[in-house]
Amino acid sequence: MEFTVLQALLIALWVAAVQSRGLGYATLTMRFSPMMTGLVVGIVMGNVPQAMIVTATIQLIYMGVFAPGGSMPSEPAVATAIAVPVAILANLEPTEAIAIAVPVGLVGGYLYQFRFFINTFIIRLSDKYAEELNDKGLFFSIMGLPILVSFALYVPVMFVALYYGAPFIADLTAQYAGGWFFHILSVIGGGLAAIGIALTIHVIGKREYIAFFLLAYFLTFVLKPLNVTMVTYAVLGSIIAFVYVLVTRMQNKE
Amino acid sequence: MAKDLTPETLTNKDLHKSWFRWWWANEVPHAFDRYIAPSLLFALMPTLRKLYKNDDDLRDAYRRHLMFFNTQAIWGGGTITGIVTSLEETRAKQIANNEEVTVSGDLINNTKLGLMGALAGIGDAIDSGTVQYIFIAIALPWAQEGNPLGSLFPWIGFTLVTYLYGFYFTKMGYRLGRSAAAELVSGQRMQAIIEGLSVLGLFMMGVIAANYVKVSTILTLSLSGKEFVLQNILDGLLPGLLPLVTILGTYFYFSKKGIKVTNALLWLSLILGGLAAIGLL
Repeated sequence: MEFTVLQALLIALWVAAVQSRGLGYATLTMRFSPMMTGLVVGIVMGNVPQAMIVTATIQLIYMGVFAPGGSMPSEPAVATAIAVPVAILANLEPTEAIAIAVPVGLVGGYLYQFRFFINTFIIRLSDKYAEELNDKGLFFSIMGLPILVSFALYVPVMFVALYYGAPFIADLTAQYAGGWFFHILSVIGGGLAAIGIALTIHVIGKREYIAFFLLAYFLTFVLKPLNVTMVTYAVLGSIIAFVYVLVTRMQNKE
Repeated sequence: MAKDLTPETLTNKDLHKSWFRWWWANEVPHAFDRYIAPSLLFALMPTLRKLYKNDDDLRDAYRRHLMFFNTQAIWGGGTITGIVTSLEETRAKQIANNEEVTVSGDLINNTKLGLMGALAGIGDAIDSGTVQYIFIAIALPWAQEGNPLGSLFPWIGFTLVTYLYGFYFTKMGYRLGRSAAAELVSGQRMQAIIEGLSVLGLFMMGVIAANYVKVSTILTLSLSGKEFVLQNILDGLLPGLLPLVTILGTYFYFSKKGIKVTNALLWLSLILGGLAAIGLL
């Protein structure tokens, strides 16, 4: 189980950058979805294909996870940064990697809250610079310092977890892989995707719209032998949405 | 010689600068007590400098935008950045021309506080909840084949699209002032777009669910000496029955108990794990 200092450090730096939100709203998808972190881990570990496959499975349980008011119950990027290396090191099935991702993601949530806590002190500095009309100072206290804090929080924690934790968990899981216990994990992993999808249905809103969900659900089973691509489904969905809006608008005019 | 106190004219470039600065700062300084107020100040600093040529008025404006503020970045932040810019401009002109100041600091703050919640609600549901997942849904099959495009496509697509319509909201907020919010929340065109996106979002979720939620039973029944694989019987009845039951069950859990993701994760793990342990799944 090889995992170098440089690899652990690179992944830790990436996570810190994402969680600092330092790239503005471009970091929203990086934080809310595991996809970009999975790709970066794959590049760092020299195994992009396997990283992508595992990450796609992790994505499913984090569908619909969003942060009303800014805090999330779980941190997909943090979860992915640990679970994907473990999955690659121990050669796990994607569904088995979920068992590692879920608890790690929950712990990651606390770290993000801690960032808010420290920022609460930094804002006093912003107050002072605002009184002085010091724009350079404000740049430092609004952007610079919070980003530095995020790196100070995430880099050490992630580095230790990756460098010491990941190979350890990988060894442990590799010993038990394939047994009864992993059958259970794999069943859970396959079913947990339901959470993200149910959440998305709930967030998108109107209960009547579930009809469109069910339509697509059964349509996909019926059309399975035809190998319809996702882009085709997106086009079909757009047409159905367009027709729906057209019809409801006509009704409103009458 | 007296300093010229006339506010400078704001251009489209100034608006874009504010929008970019808001977009960039967004969640960086998020704090417990005042949330993302500093980001709005950071966004408006260059604009405020152009408008208030008197240090006292400028300081007032800086203070005003360090108070509590929290909203979603695109629908809330974009629109409010525009609206606040137009209000600050009116106020600065009134002060400079020695007119009666009808746009008070309180009015500006109350406008921000009044709009931020409703706009954030729409923004969270549409951007994080729908648009993001439409992109991800399209790219998931690529990811499952091990293709990096599965990660790059949703990131680039979502970032680009939200940046563009966020700036559109900023311009709209500036042009329409406070009525921009009403346009977003109840305007007919906007409603049609939101409804269309919701339908598309749910449709894509249906496709994703059918492809990726895996719940199946491994139970076999022996009836009068014959072996029946229960899953085959279920598939003959209605394909995808068990995953659908799992999804709808979780959906009703969220409808009844509110969005408690951690609890749902634990419960579902327990139920699925339990059923797997006794050999049903």
